[in-house]
Amino acid sequence: MTTTAPVPTLYEDTAPYWRAAVEGRFALPRCRACRRFHHHPRAWCPYCWCTDLEWAEPSGRGIVLTYTTVHQPPSPAFTAPYVLAVIELAEGPRMMANVVDCAPDTVRVGTPVQVTFEPRGDVAIPQFRPREETPS
Amino acid sequence: MQELVLRHFVTNSGIGPNAVDGLLVCPAGMAGGQGADVFNHERINDALGIRPRFCETINVGGATYTVMLTRAATAIRAGLADAVLCVGAGKFPKVGAGGADLMARMISHPDFEYPYGSFIPALYALAATRHMAERGTPREALAAVAVTSREWALRHPDALMRPAGPLTIEQVLDSRPIASPFHLLDCSVPCEGGAAFLVMRGELARELTQQPAYLLGFGEHHDHGNISHASDFATMGAGVSARTAFAMAGLAPSDVDIAQLYDAFSINPILLLEETGLAEPGKGGHFYLNGAAAPDGVLPVNTYGGLLSFGHTGDASGMSMLIEGARQVMGQAGDRQVEADIALVHTYGGMMADHSTVLLGRTAR
Ligand SMILES: [Zn+2]
Repeated sequence: MTTTAPVPTLYEDTAPYWRAAVEGRFALPRCRACRRFHHHPRAWCPYCWCTDLEWAEPSGRGIVLTYTTVHQPPSPAFTAPYVLAVIELAEGPRMMANVVDCAPDTVRVGTPVQVTFEPRGDVAIPQFRPREETPS
Repeated sequence: MQELVLRHFVTNSGIGPNAVDGLLVCPAGMAGGQGADVFNHERINDALGIRPRFCETINVGGATYTVMLTRAATAIRAGLADAVLCVGAGKFPKVGAGGADLMARMISHPDFEYPYGSFIPALYALAATRHMAERGTPREALAAVAVTSREWALRHPDALMRPAGPLTIEQVLDSRPIASPFHLLDCSVPCEGGAAFLVMRGELARELTQQPAYLLGFGEHHDHGNISHASDFATMGAGVSARTAFAMAGLAPSDVDIAQLYDAFSINPILLLEETGLAEPGKGGHFYLNGAAAPDGVLPVNTYGGLLSFGHTGDASGMSMLIEGARQVMGQAGDRQVEADIALVHTYGGMMADHSTVLLGRTAR
């Protein structure tokens, strides 16, 4: 049984996402037709099926749409407790991540978060930490 | 397990092989991690010695069996078959034998979910947290679902948790935390199991049984592929399939006498009560807290103990709710029989992704 945290497999359409993460950049495909970002990366826009995409960098800001504090992990590769969450990015797409750098019991639905990166093996995976609300 | 189900069917159905000209089966072995047997229909054909003209192995996860029923009914209406046998049997991997990791890999996106430590209770917990925040569902209401399921299970001779006796809200809240808000007793009980049912026109069914269960309406809705992309976390998309089923049947939620709602975790029946229109939005939890779903309640739910207390039967998950809905309207539910003219059965597959609602009745409409 594995005891090291799992790493993603890189494919043609997803490798730029993970490679950017290694460099500390949050990159997502954006559709040149409808201008929307989507997650996860794929070779077409899931909103309009346009295949003319570009890589761009969203703000990395979002909110916790929902979460759970996991007490019993699926395998020894994960150390409990940890927060598994769905983040709604400011630009619209939703993605799964952990909320890190905070006590699990401080996370709420609606907690504002900012992307951060967790090195894992040869890659890094985007994670989120709570952010102070700054007036814009 | 599959052989046991078939032996029981062959012994008790009162028909011979020539009477069956359609077959729908589930891909056995999937939930146990042995790999899905996508040729299972051929194996069962061979075992039964039948030569059907409509035959398939189908998988829509936990929604497979209500979907089998709707596919069979559609095929019969189209003239593709007269009598369709639907079979499901299977098991879950043993708890603690790496089963959680196996199921997590099966149900999560391998790159964009699994590396974050996703696994089945945690993924459902995402729906629970959102429902509680958005609709004000109290934590105790989730526990009340588990308690109510146990009350019903005590009336079913085959319920896995029947020997454990009654359950209290405190016992649920005091059980070991798994993934907030769920504790151990908010989670269904993995087990082995299976069943078979026969779908045919009313006039043929009445030759076999005095009181068939009539299919009055059905609907489907398929939402997200991965739970990260669910359209709505508080509802998970079950409403569309229910509205379709009611429209087809010419019925309204107020016509429903009992409901069988897929309860892999304690939040699910609350969510499904609200989505199918059986409870007002935000009132599903109170429905349980005030005893409406319990024996002698105004709308009994999961009258056999559900997946929470009857048992969650691996590849045949969802079969038990359909069987119970049918048994209730056929008047074959023994000690737990409810006066029920109309039963609603809602099951889903994936992480509440594939929704299927069927309405069963004592009389054809
Ligand atoms: Zn587009």
